[in-house]
Amino acid sequence: MNALTFTLKKNVTQQIDCRLLSPNNLADLSIVQIENLYLLNTKNAPKISDYFDVSGDDANHIIFKNANQQLDYIGLLMTYGQITIEGDCGDFLGAQMRGGIIVCKGNANDRVGDQMRRGLILVDGYAGDYCGSRMIAGTISVFGKVGNYVGFAMKRGTILLTKTPKLHATIQDCGTHTLPFLALLFASFKGLSTRFNTVKNMRVQRYAGDLACNGNGEILVCDTTISA
Amino acid sequence: MEINGILIDDTFAEAFNMRGTRVIITAQNLKWVYHAANAMTGFATSVIGCGVEAGIERELSSDETPDGRPGVSVLMFAMGSKVLMQQLETRMGQCILTCPTAAAFAGIEAGVDVDQISLGRHLRYFGDGYQTSKLIDNKRYWRIPVMDGEFLTQETTGMVRAIGGGNFLILAISQPAALHAAETAIEAMKKVPNVIMPFPGGVVRSGSKVGSKYPKMFASTNDAFCPTLKGLVNSELSEEIESVMEIVIDGLTFADITIAMRVGVQAICELGNESGVKRISAGNYGGKLGPHHFKLHEIMGKVS
Repeated sequence: MNALTFTLKKNVTQQIDCRLLSPNNLADLSIVQIENLYLLNTKNAPKISDYFDVSGDDANHIIFKNANQQLDYIGLLMTYGQITIEGDCGDFLGAQMRGGIIVCKGNANDRVGDQMRRGLILVDGYAGDYCGSRMIAGTISVFGKVGNYVGFAMKRGTILLTKTPKLHATIQDCGTHTLPFLALLFASFKGLSTRFNTVKNMRVQRYAGDLACNGNGEILVCDTTISA
Repeated sequence: MEINGILIDDTFAEAFNMRGTRVIITAQNLKWVYHAANAMTGFATSVIGCGVEAGIERELSSDETPDGRPGVSVLMFAMGSKVLMQQLETRMGQCILTCPTAAAFAGIEAGVDVDQISLGRHLRYFGDGYQTSKLIDNKRYWRIPVMDGEFLTQETTGMVRAIGGGNFLILAISQPAALHAAETAIEAMKKVPNVIMPFPGGVVRSGSKVGSKYPKMFASTNDAFCPTLKGLVNSELSEEIESVMEIVIDGLTFADITIAMRVGVQAICELGNESGVKRISAGNYGGKLGPHHFKLHEIMGKVS
């Protein structure tokens, strides 16, 4: 079984809504069936084969190749499986996610994990504004920088960063701590071959928030240059 | 049957169905692992008075535990699932939650014939709303803020059907000889996985019989094996026997207890007749109470 792979065709100029391309929606479909699916339920909607070359047969693991910032809504509402993005992606990566794993090897645009409830999003590169906005629970890890308003209106959940971002007023500093659960979290990253693989430092700066939404969420900033 | 000059009685140990669970306890170092685990398995020698029988199964190195710290695995047995669940939660709350740096994880994974019981599911409310859960690799953990930092516990652990009450008796010519033999056996049996010997140091000196002359007592001293009553009762003891000690074994399966009994008796037999041990026997109730019979000759037959 090879991962189901979507390779973005060249010369695509507009934004593409990728919400259909998740393990939930593509289980048990053949390549031909997938290629002929309409990307949206709208009049004159494009087919998947208009934008992507499709290969592979394991819908539990979906890979986007040649990916760039035109791909929005990847992993929307997904509940299981894994999506790997080899490249950048657009807005709303893993929005309303309910389980599974998303790995983005490049940069992600705004609203990563918006309203996410469960699951894990790993971004090797940068993430845009409103990362983890309205997050209900789950885990988002961004290795690169993040934009403004990280964790905006988050209820619960963990946003793991490596550099202190610009924080808005309703995120509160809780001090520096060594958190034992990070050992388990880092161990679970091991099989995913991201830049987080080498992270061992369990000492983090903990910010709680968003206090406008009860403040049970947290933004953890981990200094990855320290090895233990 | 005789091994190395030690007589093995043609009798059997009678054991019962129990419910068992395993919990992995970790802490910053082994010192605090044992503080936590000893507290958790304290006052857990016999279900008669303690509710559960519990003990430390073995030590775990830091690469064997979920969080990469040193730990031990603890086995806990009770006569029913309800008592086991209640005792596990009480002991988690009073012994692990309270112990500095300690964390608790499931020791039995989900599977067929495995029930999930609460490890930290109810304990989390100690967090008074500040508790948070994390689902990592499909296992749910709870992080409870406590004064030393954060208490980490898995939400559930597995409960399985198990067997309790495997045993054998060591009959020796003196108390020191019986104790030395018992210690030797325990040392060897500690290496057997999936079993615990719940009594102090693994050894019990007050074996009991069912019933008593006092109507309110369900169990009383096993007079047939009390050396000081040799002339008074229908004694099991010959003239030279001056002290009897018993080792009780709880295990996850029949095979586990069989192995533990064989390893223990074998270790004693290797001491030989000169050690002062003259006989090995086993405790039973005529075979009517417990469904599992561990026949000494069958168990030892594979060795001598």
